[in-house]
Amino acid sequence: MGYEPLVQQNPLRVLNMSRENNQLGLVMARAGLGKTALLVQIALDAILRGKNVIHVSIGETIDKTKKWYDDILSTILQGHSVTRPHELVDMVAQHRMIMTFKVAAFTRSRLEERLNDLVLQDIFRPNCLIVDGFNFDQTDREALEDLKNLMETMDMQAWFSAICHRGDDRVSPTGVPAPCHEVDDLFDMIILLKPEHDATIQLDIIRNSGELVTDGKGLRLDPTTMMIKEM
Amino acid sequence: MKKDLTKVRNIGISAHIDSGKTTLTERILFFTQRIHAIHEVRGKDGVGATMDSMDLERERGITIQSAATYCTWKDYDVNIIDTPGHVDFTIEVERALRVLDGAVLILCSVGGVQSQSITVNRQMTRYKVPRIAFVNKCDRTGANPFRVTQQLRDKLDLNAIMLQLPIGLESDLQGMIDLVSMKAIYFEGDQGNEMRQTEIPPELKEEAEAKREELLDAVSMFSDELMEAMLEEGEIPEAMIHDAIRKGTLSLELTPVMIGSAYKNKGIQLLLDAVTSYLPCPTDIENTALDLNQNESEVVVSNDPADPLVALAFKLEDGRYGQLTYIRTYQGVIQKGDTIINSRTGKKAKIGRLVRMHANEMEEIDSAGAGDIVALFGIDCASGDTFCSPGLNWSMSSMHVPAPVISLAINPVDNKAQINMSKALNRFTKEDPTFKTYVDHETNETIISGMGELHLEVYIERMKREYKAEVEVGAPQVAYRETITQRAGFDYTHKKQTGGSGQYGRVAGFIEPLPEGEYEFVDQIVGGVIPREYIPSCDKGFQKSLEKGTLTGAPITGVRVAINDGSFHAVDSSDIAFQVAAIGAFKQGYAKAAPVIMEPIMKVAVEGPSEFQGSVMGSLNQRRGVIIGTFEEGNYTVVEAEMPLAEMFGYSTTLRSLTQGKAEFTMEFATYKQVPKGVADELIKAFATQKKDA
Repeated sequence: MGYEPLVQQNPLRVLNMSRENNQLGLVMARAGLGKTALLVQIALDAILRGKNVIHVSIGETIDKTKKWYDDILSTILQGHSVTRPHELVDMVAQHRMIMTFKVAAFTRSRLEERLNDLVLQDIFRPNCLIVDGFNFDQTDREALEDLKNLMETMDMQAWFSAICHRGDDRVSPTGVPAPCHEVDDLFDMIILLKPEHDATIQLDIIRNSGELVTDGKGLRLDPTTMMIKEM
Repeated sequence: MKKDLTKVRNIGISAHIDSGKTTLTERILFFTQRIHAIHEVRGKDGVGATMDSMDLERERGITIQSAATYCTWKDYDVNIIDTPGHVDFTIEVERALRVLDGAVLILCSVGGVQSQSITVNRQMTRYKVPRIAFVNKCDRTGANPFRVTQQLRDKLDLNAIMLQLPIGLESDLQGMIDLVSMKAIYFEGDQGNEMRQTEIPPELKEEAEAKREELLDAVSMFSDELMEAMLEEGEIPEAMIHDAIRKGTLSLELTPVMIGSAYKNKGIQLLLDAVTSYLPCPTDIENTALDLNQNESEVVVSNDPADPLVALAFKLEDGRYGQLTYIRTYQGVIQKGDTIINSRTGKKAKIGRLVRMHANEMEEIDSAGAGDIVALFGIDCASGDTFCSPGLNWSMSSMHVPAPVISLAINPVDNKAQINMSKALNRFTKEDPTFKTYVDHETNETIISGMGELHLEVYIERMKREYKAEVEVGAPQVAYRETITQRAGFDYTHKKQTGGSGQYGRVAGFIEPLPEGEYEFVDQIVGGVIPREYIPSCDKGFQKSLEKGTLTGAPITGVRVAINDGSFHAVDSSDIAFQVAAIGAFKQGYAKAAPVIMEPIMKVAVEGPSEFQGSVMGSLNQRRGVIIGTFEEGNYTVVEAEMPLAEMFGYSTTLRSLTQGKAEFTMEFATYKQVPKGVADELIKAFATQKKDA
């Protein structure tokens, strides 16, 4: 296949995260640190493992979302020689579907309806759902539980992104910042991104496969691709 | 006479079919007093609107060709290009956008942002055209300019801001409130030509205040002065607001939204004011040309009338007095009697007649300065050519011309039709770079190719009407291509000894895939094993081989051919012998190079009510499509997919029956991709049978 380099530097492979179905993951960071880029890496990792990914973008356009994939793929392809680059690009396109929703239009029932449209007609069977732009500030616990429930019934893994705000110091006992400090127990995997002085991004794992991670296992990532920075 | 370029506007009017482009243009011409009576697009008087100058357009009620027309509003010169609304004619739209400085994007207040608006908007963004939105048809039942403005933000990603508030809507539309001057404006008189300004009706006062706040908030971003004035909470001068709106519009970061009803003559004068106040003049826009003497390096055109001339021919029309060429000047002055040079062909031409166009009528002029749009008579050129003063060799940057994706065979019914047909084809290919024609030597049929079914249909219609050429039309064919996927060697000897002088040539080398590009010939012959004079013969032979692939007879692209060995005979080798040897060699290499068939893939967007999304996706999936994504807004969704063109014939009928006629789709060429194995096998089989039968 020749896609090895992609795998070697993908943070999820290295950390051995994001393997099982039915798990819920969360990527948290302040605005502009690369949440979407990391979500795209998570999606690419799943696609390379033969999974189908639905990328839900709330409040974004299809073109912009697709561009994230195109940009990150082309950066990766520039840095590594892959024997048949267009096959990789095609493969990603075939195993990924983008769904964009207006902020107000995103509800569990809407999502379920859309997913069923795909599954019942056998158009696309997703294994992994990426949800970017979900508004945790205005969501109650019940709505999230409802979504978690849906993921379980459909036997899917899901990854959410959340923005933490500068100046909001609320934090859960396990160290998960607001606005997710009261719902952190619903997630099996939680990642926190922080900027570092040398223009890299520090990835900290707060929880992995439901277990609290305390040994401070972290990684340094390249901010453009969210791949592991070669030291 | 030095013209003040700040008082010139070159604008386009672009929109979805049936949003009322032509009606609006007609009204603009009426209010600027270029015409003295109003005809409707589908008028009962049988005259039709002035801008739709072709019979066909009149009959179908659509505008096919963009006619340029000139008018004056207050002391501004305005050149209007009426652009076609159907996506199959996008080359026309794109060409028009290239020569425009600004545009009015018309939207229907009932239909809102439709698929075509999305495509046109994308094109405008590509060419960085500042635009004003005009929400038309506010007199219609279901009109909602607020919803349309919101859609401009959501679907087109524009920072749309309303400059007006309607007074009444639907059949009750009386006038509008100008949120800059905070006055109510009514349109009176038989044809709305008397504007009456009054105070804002008390019941709308509060809403108007709120909307004005919104407007000021949005535009203050573009003017520090305005921001300060707002902080001081004093009276804000109107000019300051206009200035901020203009800045925002020119930077493409703001889209002012105007409202009205062209049909009911409401809001046209205000739209014209907005065109002159907010859209750019030629000097506001930086246009670049390529200097052909400096290795095509980019140069900025000056807009200065004192500089040598640079003008672009963007549109040809066959008129009563010969070929009419529409040009846009970018710098210098074009004058009757001047000599100009076509930088593509290097040919000189003398300007006989220079005219300013007003749809079907024309006005003779002596000269035209930088930034103007005029027309020339009797100049032989193709669309897209650049004219310069002697001494300058610039070309306006080449326009993005997509390759044709569909073709069909046409056969003239009789001898007379044959002659007229070739005249017509000659004209069309000059006018439209996406329309191509050639004769298939095997079947002796004339093939025309273009960007879509409708594109070709319109030309066939035009042939019948304008050139009286009746033709029989074959079934549309997808323009397949063939290419190779691996390197392969060849070593071929052509030998013929049948009395008289024989033929001898041996060619060896390899072929390999050339991902970017169509064909490359590499000569690696050393030691004269193939004499110099026969190298071009080999190249010629290879090129001939590319015309028809062996799998399906489609042209072969993306191949690099290298020759590195061979032999010759002092007597029997000749040009033709090496050509034949090269053809044989190519055939040998091609078979080993894992050839594949490529097909055109279209970017398709289907939009309609959400309830049909499932069946729409199903229908796309059945047609070998790859669904890229969906966009959902309330009860309305867009599905975007990449579809093989071959599967899209008749899709409009399928879609109509699946969705009770409530969904529609647009299609644009995206790329060429390899055909899947099963389909390829069928194509190869069909080609083999066809060859056997022939």
